[in-house]
Amino acid sequence: MLRLECPSCGPRNAAEFRYGGEYNPRPAPSSSATDNEWTRYLYLRQNSMGVQTEWWYHRSGCGMWFLVERDRRTNQVTRSWQWTVDMDDDARQETT
Amino acid sequence: MKGRRIEARPGQVVDRAEPLSFQFDGRSYTGYAGDTIASALTAAGVGILSRSFKYHRPRGLLCGAGHCPNCLVQIGDEPSVRSCTRPLEQGMDIRSQNAWPSLDNDLMQLTESVSRFLPVGFYYKIFHRPRFLWPAFEHLLRNAAGLGVIDPQTPEGSYDKQYLHADVVVVGGGPAGLSAAVAAADHGSRVLLIDENADVGGHLRFDRPDETVTERIAQCRKALDQAGATILTRTSVVGWYQDHWLSAVRGNRLYKIRAGAVVVASGAFEAPPIFAGNDRPGVLLASAAQRLLHLHGVIPGQRGVIVTASDAGWAVAVDLIEAGVDIVAIADERPEPGPPEQHETLTTAGVVIHQGYTISAARGARGVDEVDLVPVDGTAAKQTIRCDFVALSTSWIPSAELATMAGARSHYDETLAEMTLEDLPEGIFLAGRVAGPCTAEQEWIQGSAAGTAAAAGGPSHDSTTGTTPIPRSSQIVVSPGSAGDKRFVCFCEDVTDTDIETAVAEGYDRIELLKRYSTVGMGPCQGRMCGLNSIRLCAQNTGQSVQETGRTTGRPPVTPVSLGALAGQKMEPVQLSAIHDWHVGHEARLMVAGPWMRPEHYGTPEDEVRAVREAAGLIDVSPLGKLKLTGPGVATLLERLYVNPWKDLRRGRVRYGIMCNDEGIILDDGVCARISDHEWYVSTTSTGASGAVEWMEWWRQSGWGDGVHITDMTETHAAFNLAGPLSRQILQPLTSRDLSHGKFPYMRARRAKVAGVPCLLLRIGFTGELGYEIHCPAGYARYLWETLIEAGIPHGLLPFGVEAQRVLRLEKGHFIVGQDTDALTDPLAADAPWAVRLDKDEDFLGRRALTRISEEGPRQRLVGFRTRRRADALVEGLQVVRPADRGAPEIIGWISSCRYSPTLQETIGLCWLPTELAEQQDTPFHIHVEGQLELAHVHHGPFYDPQGERLRS
Repeated sequence: MLRLECPSCGPRNAAEFRYGGEYNPRPAPSSSATDNEWTRYLYLRQNSMGVQTEWWYHRSGCGMWFLVERDRRTNQVTRSWQWTVDMDDDARQETT
Repeated sequence: MKGRRIEARPGQVVDRAEPLSFQFDGRSYTGYAGDTIASALTAAGVGILSRSFKYHRPRGLLCGAGHCPNCLVQIGDEPSVRSCTRPLEQGMDIRSQNAWPSLDNDLMQLTESVSRFLPVGFYYKIFHRPRFLWPAFEHLLRNAAGLGVIDPQTPEGSYDKQYLHADVVVVGGGPAGLSAAVAAADHGSRVLLIDENADVGGHLRFDRPDETVTERIAQCRKALDQAGATILTRTSVVGWYQDHWLSAVRGNRLYKIRAGAVVVASGAFEAPPIFAGNDRPGVLLASAAQRLLHLHGVIPGQRGVIVTASDAGWAVAVDLIEAGVDIVAIADERPEPGPPEQHETLTTAGVVIHQGYTISAARGARGVDEVDLVPVDGTAAKQTIRCDFVALSTSWIPSAELATMAGARSHYDETLAEMTLEDLPEGIFLAGRVAGPCTAEQEWIQGSAAGTAAAAGGPSHDSTTGTTPIPRSSQIVVSPGSAGDKRFVCFCEDVTDTDIETAVAEGYDRIELLKRYSTVGMGPCQGRMCGLNSIRLCAQNTGQSVQETGRTTGRPPVTPVSLGALAGQKMEPVQLSAIHDWHVGHEARLMVAGPWMRPEHYGTPEDEVRAVREAAGLIDVSPLGKLKLTGPGVATLLERLYVNPWKDLRRGRVRYGIMCNDEGIILDDGVCARISDHEWYVSTTSTGASGAVEWMEWWRQSGWGDGVHITDMTETHAAFNLAGPLSRQILQPLTSRDLSHGKFPYMRARRAKVAGVPCLLLRIGFTGELGYEIHCPAGYARYLWETLIEAGIPHGLLPFGVEAQRVLRLEKGHFIVGQDTDALTDPLAADAPWAVRLDKDEDFLGRRALTRISEEGPRQRLVGFRTRRRADALVEGLQVVRPADRGAPEIIGWISSCRYSPTLQETIGLCWLPTELAEQQDTPFHIHVEGQLELAHVHHGPFYDPQGERLRS
């Protein structure tokens, strides 16, 4: 079973967590996004064969939503950390 | 083969002071404590233990190590028990499998006489035509298939699971495993040593007894004991999963083990060569003979022939001679002379030594009567030798399953004629015979190196450095000149070398395809006996190298696991309300609602509905999600999460809210009360509570949570809904809070002490009557509930359940999220456009989608309907159709809720209709009920008390 490092609780079995999908920040405000940007946010995912940044929720633990960098080919987890606001800013800048 | 028991010697595990009697196919036998079933039967002279799967050929003990299918028996209601590893117990009733009328005279062995009509892959080729005969064929085949018998009446067993944690898990307790465990423990690691046998020691247990070895094992055991290491015997590690998560089974218990590192010291096992009649009872592996001899004091026969490709066979020959067995010949396929010491012993004992020879056939009436030995190079004639058993030591297979599951790659070493492992993943260490041929002393050394490396947590390293492997396995695939009987590759599925050849010729020339088509390796032993042989045969027939041919993917479980062990305890966890016991004590009919167990009703739902409409009712709504949101940012967060406005909600007020996602789909609903400026009380649906909390937390923790704290009080607080025209009269005497309409109007929240219990009262009305939702700490729930019931009884109050509530809310036309809505439902379509405030200041989840829907208008709408049809015939989910002049009617909608309303005395419901049909009150439409069309009429708004006067009374 995959083991994840919760930023506040340490390494735990994946069964304690809920997967939250790809990290995919919401255009803010929603009205500012073009239809293409909105569609990309709402329906399109990278589904990359490689390292993905994704959300996990420590359901059977502290209740933290955090981010994990995981290689989807090997299931190797390289990093896990708590969300920060500049992440969203950076990601939005990349996509525009 | 005529096995018997010899005198007691050191090292034997049988206790001759404790005889055990048992039955095999109705006949009584005696063995000893410490025997396996197979050792006791062999000692009693029983040679045939089972019948083979396809041809029903007699089979006897082969591997003695719990791998092959030859010794599978039925014990009571337990099928396919490996009798060579299952300990004998007093009074066991053991039966043979797959034989009728008896093991000695199995009529189904006639199958073999028609075997040329049952070629490899026959189930793809015959029995398919003529088609109409298939049912008869199927009956025949189903009766012929399978081995043991399952008893559907078997009482449930008790199974459980246990989680274990270790820095270093050592799989295999032989010399390599023991020294690895000791080394890791010496370095301070928490060590778990697992061995599938009755005791640690590995092959040392059944090698020639040696006092110094016994002493060494005892020292290891002592060292492990002192270091606090755990040793699990009779435990099979059956799977490796991500991040060194191992599953292991011991009897009825499944272990789930998280390891820091894994030392695979699982050893190697022998596999048989391919020659004519290689499955005859009396043909057994040399290691099986050693186990019988040294563990159980049993010899497999009187006159034996040894076939070998290494010094291993010579050692077994010497042991058997010393035990009084007449070894008549030894065939060693190596041309050079065998080990000098053993050579001398054998010569003295009069053993005919054939260097450069191997076995080509075994023949016999019931077992083995004679064997043919042939020169490997075909330069001389075969020698026929009379004997009653053959011990084979020609091929070793490393137990590499766990290492390959973990990602190690297999490599075929042409010199060794064995699969070796490469590219070990991080945290996997090999030691001992699994890593390749080595001496016992080298196993100790390798184990120590592997254990040290594993404890250090470093990258994988090669513990075999310094070991020069001495080949132990045969290069021969099929013995030369082997004819006169079938040559089995796969003993489980009765696949012969000719079958493999045919399958390759038919185009199944990839190893994975070959396996699936010929079923080679798909039986109980999962390729243990045939794995390498089938790859080599495939290579031979395709002209590829063994390395190019590759091997089939090994997957868990390594050894068979009972479904019970996987399932564990029979548990269906449910959440129970704080007053669950009261419900049970009052004849509540319970139902599962999401994770909760709730009262559906207490006898008669109609009476419960009537009580609420005419007097009062009390329902336990504790499963409601109950959240406390505190902080200056709550109103903003709620504005973003819900489609409703919140900033304008004044203190002490309650508002119904709908939560959507960005697609505009309804996720949850509930009421939110503003207790004070910065304190809110939010309720969610009962079944969606945890999902709603996770959703809210997600947004709170990813940028929308400035100044907000969410406390989930779902399980710490209980909630009841006291509803009905008399509810105020019942509640008022219990509290000092003025409940009059003027002081506590509709859609208001008030803190109050009820019967001394601190409560939050919400004046809301899901049922359509004057009502109070009473929230209190769960510890007071039972007391408060009973107090309310007692106070209400003189007024005609009844407790009511979920069923009555469903009827009551339907009479009011309220939808239930998840019942009337689905993953495509938005609030505009669900007839709740009044809740949506598109022009809020705050950007909210669903705004963009709902703006668009409001511009285009919903295509479907949720509306009420009434019909004359009895409600019990109208199952929820029935289709709404448009009748067609010809052909099937067109499906245009569906019914999401339907009940008979005792209040209105008619059938009412909610349904999804195309917008144009839904718009007009009383529009007729049709519901498709079992081929009939039932007329129904659209109804807008609540069926009961449309103005909501009763709520505001």
